[in-house]
Amino acid sequence: MADFFAWLQSTSIARAVAETQMLIAALSAIHLIGLALVVGSAFVSALALAGLAFPGWSSAEMAATGRAALVGLCISVGTGALMFASRAEAASQNGFFQLKMLLFVAAALCQLAIHRVVRRAPSSLALRPAGVLGLALWVGVALAGCAFILLE
Amino acid sequence: MSLLDLCTWLENSPVAILMKESLWGFPIVVTMHVMGVALSVGTLTWFDLRLVGAGFTRTPITQVYRRVMPWAFLGFAVMAVSGGLLFVAYATNAYRNNFFWIKMSAMALAGVNAGAYHLITERTITSWDASPRPPIAARLAGMTSMVLWTIVILMGRTLSYTMF
Repeated sequence: MADFFAWLQSTSIARAVAETQMLIAALSAIHLIGLALVVGSAFVSALALAGLAFPGWSSAEMAATGRAALVGLCISVGTGALMFASRAEAASQNGFFQLKMLLFVAAALCQLAIHRVVRRAPSSLALRPAGVLGLALWVGVALAGCAFILLE
Repeated sequence: MSLLDLCTWLENSPVAILMKESLWGFPIVVTMHVMGVALSVGTLTWFDLRLVGAGFTRTPITQVYRRVMPWAFLGFAVMAVSGGLLFVAYATNAYRNNFFWIKMSAMALAGVNAGAYHLITERTITSWDASPRPPIAARLAGMTSMVLWTIVILMGRTLSYTMF
């Protein structure tokens, strides 16, 4: 695994990112757009699933929050991958980054589960706590990301 | 007293010194500011999406507003407090940074856009509140809001790479 990260960091794309301050800045900025979309959608859908907003929501409407979150995810994962590549060795050994990736997997799985249940059993009682859990996990991802950047 | 003088004065205030000298002050305030993006713009986006007719179109606009916007306003309060603390601590750096000024301008324009929507466009809302595709003025307001806040986020993150 360590060899892979070393190789990744040596690719010309990774080195271009590492060496160009404005490129890192742009990637980091666009990464935040993704954050706003993902966490914002998780928040609004948690509200809807808890019955605090959009009463009588249809699964088609909830699918919209899923699509927005997916767009945000693509943006964040794309920019995140490029930023990670530029310092793969150090990032992969950082505790906060590892925590972020663990929480990311959990959050993505939770998101998939929620959207499956919304489609097949929209009146399921499990959706209310699931929405809150999903939100908490995405917030955790963002917090771990902040810790990784600010405390390294 | 010029604006630059004011910025210098702010940077030497007790709050600013606390922000810069405390080990945890800066990381905590920045984290608040980043997480606040999701609560403020992340929720506002869903009102904007309703205005452009792209999200939760079965719910009347006024109801989307009532349910979503209090959270957005809470988010903006978090942004104002954390942003204010960051500004006070590094006021002269911000003053000299072009990205900071673009960010402030975009925020001001977002305010004008919101004002125009609420004071003018919203007057006729009873006739299109439940419409899945609101009139063009409302759709423009939603679109403009999303574009402007995207600029604010992009400038906000970029300025931190060029401020110091």
